[in-house]
Amino acid sequence: MLTKLAGGRIYDPANGHDGAVGDLFLQDGRIVADPGPGAAPDEVHDLTGRVVMAGAIDIHSHIAGGKVNIARLLMAEEHRMAAQEPCGCVGLATPSTHATGCRYAQMGYTAAFEPAMLPSNARHAHLEMADIPLIDTGGYLVLGNDDLLLELLASGAGEEAVADYVGFMLNATRSLAVKAVNPGGINAFKYNQRRLDVDENGPFHAITPRRILTALAGAVQRLGIPHPLHLHGFNLGVPGNVEATLDSIVAVDGLRLHLTHVQFHAYGAEGDRKFSSAAARVAEAVNRRPNISVDVGQIMFGQTVTASADTMAQMGNAGLAHPKKWVMMDIECDAGCGVVPFRYRDKAFVNALQWAIGLELFLLIEDPWRIFLTTDHPNGAPFTSYPELIRLLMDRDHRLARMAELHPALPEHTILGSLTREYSLGEIATMTRAAPARILGLTDRGHLGPGAVADITVYTDRPDRHAMFETPDLVFKDGRLIVRDGVVVAFLQGRTHVVEPAYDPKIESWMARRFDERMGQRLTHFRIAEEEIRGGNGLVRHACQPGAF
Amino acid sequence: MASDRPTHPIGRPVVHHDVVCPFCGLGCDDLTVEEEPPSTLAVRSTDCPVARERFSHTPVAEPPRVAGVPVPLAEAVEAAAALLGAAQAPLVAGLGTDVDGARAALSLAERLGAVVDHALSDGLYRNLAVLQRTGWIATTLAELRNRCDLLLVAGPDPAALHPRLFERWVAPAPAFQTPPSREVVFLCGEPLDTTRAVLSGLPVTVLPGDPARTGDAAAALAAALADPSRAAGAAGIGAGDIAALAERLRTARYAVVAWGAAAFAGPHADLTVERLVGLVRDANRHTRCAGLPLAGHDNIVGVNQVCTWRFGVPLRTSLAGGTPRHDPHRFDWARYAAVADVVVWVSSFRPEVPAFPADTTVVALAPPGTAFADEPAVFIPVGTPGIDHPAHVFRSDTVVALRGRGLIDRGLPGVAAVLKAIAAALPQEAPAC
Repeated sequence: MLTKLAGGRIYDPANGHDGAVGDLFLQDGRIVADPGPGAAPDEVHDLTGRVVMAGAIDIHSHIAGGKVNIARLLMAEEHRMAAQEPCGCVGLATPSTHATGCRYAQMGYTAAFEPAMLPSNARHAHLEMADIPLIDTGGYLVLGNDDLLLELLASGAGEEAVADYVGFMLNATRSLAVKAVNPGGINAFKYNQRRLDVDENGPFHAITPRRILTALAGAVQRLGIPHPLHLHGFNLGVPGNVEATLDSIVAVDGLRLHLTHVQFHAYGAEGDRKFSSAAARVAEAVNRRPNISVDVGQIMFGQTVTASADTMAQMGNAGLAHPKKWVMMDIECDAGCGVVPFRYRDKAFVNALQWAIGLELFLLIEDPWRIFLTTDHPNGAPFTSYPELIRLLMDRDHRLARMAELHPALPEHTILGSLTREYSLGEIATMTRAAPARILGLTDRGHLGPGAVADITVYTDRPDRHAMFETPDLVFKDGRLIVRDGVVVAFLQGRTHVVEPAYDPKIESWMARRFDERMGQRLTHFRIAEEEIRGGNGLVRHACQPGAF
Repeated sequence: MASDRPTHPIGRPVVHHDVVCPFCGLGCDDLTVEEEPPSTLAVRSTDCPVARERFSHTPVAEPPRVAGVPVPLAEAVEAAAALLGAAQAPLVAGLGTDVDGARAALSLAERLGAVVDHALSDGLYRNLAVLQRTGWIATTLAELRNRCDLLLVAGPDPAALHPRLFERWVAPAPAFQTPPSREVVFLCGEPLDTTRAVLSGLPVTVLPGDPARTGDAAAALAAALADPSRAAGAAGIGAGDIAALAERLRTARYAVVAWGAAAFAGPHADLTVERLVGLVRDANRHTRCAGLPLAGHDNIVGVNQVCTWRFGVPLRTSLAGGTPRHDPHRFDWARYAAVADVVVWVSSFRPEVPAFPADTTVVALAPPGTAFADEPAVFIPVGTPGIDHPAHVFRSDTVVALRGRGLIDRGLPGVAAVLKAIAAALPQEAPAC
């Protein structure tokens, strides 16, 4: 079937289109070249005056896996309240898989990636992601606190062996990228260390976080994984942590590095409240170094729940839990999880400044190809707050009006009021479509050129950007119309994106022994078979290019 | 995986290696199982009574029955759909099944507006109630094995339900502690003889106490942590013993407190769990300590995981009102069975189906050979996950999911296939978002 999307204003930064009027043709789930005047489309959508973009892609959203289910259990109150509503799944911090897929699709998103898949929990995460309808998914594998890697490093293993280990783990767990969460810190917490400096030897294995960080960034480069090492840095949420953030940037020595939810890592310890914005320093460092990318992890006000593998940081935050209950878990010699409910209050100075720091980062980092729109769902806010966040970026008056409602001491602690930048539609399209696809290596997504998967979102160009991005007119997934005027009109299953880097299988015999001796699990059972992912349907492999990055 | 299935050499048993055991939730994946054609299985690699008993129960297939009369599968499916289509207060429970079976059961329940629960959720709920009220600090089996230097077992020996717990996860020396030593304390419970034998190389202390007052002992310990010299006795355990254990907890490098909530007797046993969780939390002011709440037979943990991700709420939920309503008291299957008019009972791991009130219409999915107090309206024999077909099951620590493979082919359908067929035979409704 040939479908024509006629006369829309096309925002397709990957192909150099910034709002020019044009037609798109869809066939067999992909965008095809204009078939010429002789072709008779089976279906035509007149999009005159509408805004057309590729389906949006969320590079960092906690949508599946053990910690998400713990968060759902802990947030019993919000589900009890939701049960009172006619459709109880709007805007929850811990939506069901079904609501997750629906809400993303209704906002014009066609992919979201789980950024913290633990090796031991990967099978669970995949089983759960397969139950998220409508959108594509994939997982980033959490490494850097796994005792096996630390043992390998402690044994003096070279770059090659580390890359083989990482390569095996990515293949075995069907992952798309490597994530490091407070490298070394989660492991140290299991030995009752509540803090670990970047150059301090961790307990037992006696390896420094810096060594782990550089080893993983090097392995990612060596294996040619498209996405750079995805780093949840040091001292999350601690005033003054900007020094460790800047240090991480230097530590990788030119290798590519993605700093995730960098808002939580851009804090100074200056001023009368010993808590200050260091957004300008982070932005300056990012602007100067093309090897660095970030996503923001914007906070928005209201009740949410924070869920992270970073037990060291989360244990430190547990006293701030609202409601007053929290879960910590040490997990299977590879990481942990900490789940702490939290309410960001607009009248609280610290929360207001966090909000401002996030927006400062958005506005000070110049290249929209290297900064990504995230709330670190649900840690900064539920992903359903993206339309409001987009409005804050595109509409300075709205931003200033919102700022005026916050804690009165805020203006003297932020330069936000002086920042005049407003994101354009083209920049939003870059930040939420083209750039995420490029930095994940999804070559046929995030753009609207011939050959691209026909994941497409159509908006009415409204001055109220919140309203515009909250309710697209049309959303196509794989060429099928799934959402019309904000209502899901068809259900389909998404796909799972993975990489399969080449590695020397010799590492497997060492690992098999370690699994027998330590993990009480056979390595063959740890490995996830292709037919386990969506019943064998829907695995999408992306090419690795060793040495290319 | 069918391709994994060895072909039968004439007259000789087939040996399956590294078989995943799906039954008790410990996730043992090292079983050697011998197959005597056509379909008799025998576990050769372990004395685990759960594995031995369950793998050996593989009678040949039998046909489905409607009102006691053998019928083809399609007819049984039609009959079940007809009964369910007319149900006013349906209950979809038992839920002894793998992840795929759980998905199908929950989808069917959603379509019917049914209440969902697992047969064994009493024990799980003692734990979840506390998780939901206060949260907790927990750990997993490999952390126990490799890091724990002090294991405190609270209440009755969990090896009664999880036989290889000590053999696989406690007897090996911790790999990531220096020195690699471990000691085990039993509080308000005595180790089984098999447990004592497995732990013969380790220092073991038994503080028998009153199992019904395990919570009191936990509270006394927690109170003594700050200053063991001021310890008080509790649950029949003397102050001196409490003080010594409190001191030991404070100086442990990584203590684990393990319990099997299903074995706690009496009403409000969740309060026992709450005090154990409180003890763990308090111990973390001094050192590292984590709880290991065990509950796991018949993949209850996996089914609860699927339910939680599907609906945002755990089992014991009603899907009757559009949005799921979770109520661990009201939607306990044993309570709801009194008012349900039609029950779909799923028990693919064991040939057991409870008795229901006389006027209840029962659709039972269970292994062949299941004995019924009253013949159900519809009985559909199903295969056992990990024996008759590949299956995903979760370990009791909630983190690790394993995939068992199919070992034999008795021609029995899986739970997922049967429930999907029943759902497909119901009048269709457009899914809502």
